[in-house]
Amino acid sequence: MRLPRGTLRKSRVVSDPRETLADVLDRTVTGYAIFESQETLLLDAEGRGVVTFEDGVPVLAYHTGTDRGGPPALADLAVPGPYHVSVFELGPDDLAAAHEADDLRVPPGMPAERLGGDPALADSTRRAAPDDRGQKASETADEHSAVEAFLEDEAKITAIREQAREEARARADEWDF
Amino acid sequence: MVEVFAVASGKGGTGKTTSTVALGMALAERYDVTVVDADTGMANLLFHAGLSDAETTLHDVLAADAAVADATYERFGMTVVPCGTSLDGFRDADPARLREVVATLAAETDVILLDSPPALDSRAAVLPVVMADRIVVVLQPTIPAISDGLKVQEYATSYGTGVAGLLFNKVREDERIDDVAEKTERYFDGPTLAAVPETERAREARRAGRPLLAHAPDCAAAAAYHRAADALSVDHAESGDVADRFRSAVIPETP
Repeated sequence: MRLPRGTLRKSRVVSDPRETLADVLDRTVTGYAIFESQETLLLDAEGRGVVTFEDGVPVLAYHTGTDRGGPPALADLAVPGPYHVSVFELGPDDLAAAHEADDLRVPPGMPAERLGGDPALADSTRRAAPDDRGQKASETADEHSAVEAFLEDEAKITAIREQAREEARARADEWDF
Repeated sequence: MVEVFAVASGKGGTGKTTSTVALGMALAERYDVTVVDADTGMANLLFHAGLSDAETTLHDVLAADAAVADATYERFGMTVVPCGTSLDGFRDADPARLREVVATLAAETDVILLDSPPALDSRAAVLPVVMADRIVVVLQPTIPAISDGLKVQEYATSYGTGVAGLLFNKVREDERIDDVAEKTERYFDGPTLAAVPETERAREARRAGRPLLAHAPDCAAAAAYHRAADALSVDHAESGDVADRFRSAVIPETP
């Protein structure tokens, strides 16, 4: 996925990608966001997620570490935060070429569900999406299977737990617990 | 006899404070319950318990400007210790004094619920989980909430705190919650206490400054919180032992 660089609007660490998705929707941003989890052990060292937006509504998702696009890219990115997030604004024409890549598309509410864990924000995003984005009815059913698929990925869950235990131990020293 | 529970979630927006107050009210039918707003940076409990005009709060106690008794209020059958919302109050508060507060409260109650910050990124945020005997993990049936809940569990168990159970909150009708709960339980040390349906009543209650169980006692969500309270087995330690334990916990005075 090739994108022009655009204008950097935000670059910060957030504990929850939900904040970024809600802000992008509020401000109807056209452009893209780069999410980089700080939990590097769980991701490819090069692992960054890119989500594009039209008028605040997510269109494409791509993960640079796994080279996967669409819903699988969101699964690759859905690990505990914090994340470093950069938001870039572009003109609508700048996204036209990238948005022809149908295999990278995600349903409008899916990033809010899977990265933000916020079904209410996903509802607002779906309402803001143009009618031709479709798939609204089937999105909720997809979410259930995504949660169940996550719970069946024992290796990933083990990695999340091990990482948290290590972090807790390291911080116990730092915090004098 | 007293047991201290931290009501925790790794992530904001799961309805943790609503759940803390609801569990507290339901448990208050059987126990003497004290609910403490341990989220000192983002006080919320006072708005749920009709205490938005409380003059003395936990902030004053943590700043050593007031005694614990001055910041306790009898509301809805429980003892409530709210936190203030002013930035000055937060700046002057020393979170490490929380252990003294809990030790003092422990002498006079059966169950203490600590409404904990939805984060693990600072010493103050993790302190309630460290101090509690066990945690109740509040989850929404979403991937981020469950993975952040797992993180909270690992922090808790790393610091010797047990897991009392899981509370699924804001569950939508079309969600296959039984399947999700069963699969989630495999990774957690405690059982699912209840699945609480998403309800407009919770928002109404919050706007009215009343706990959900007082505002809409007959709604399905209230019934679920009662089931959760019934499923929560309270282990009774002698209150003297517990008070001593908090006073002697190896937590330095300075944050």
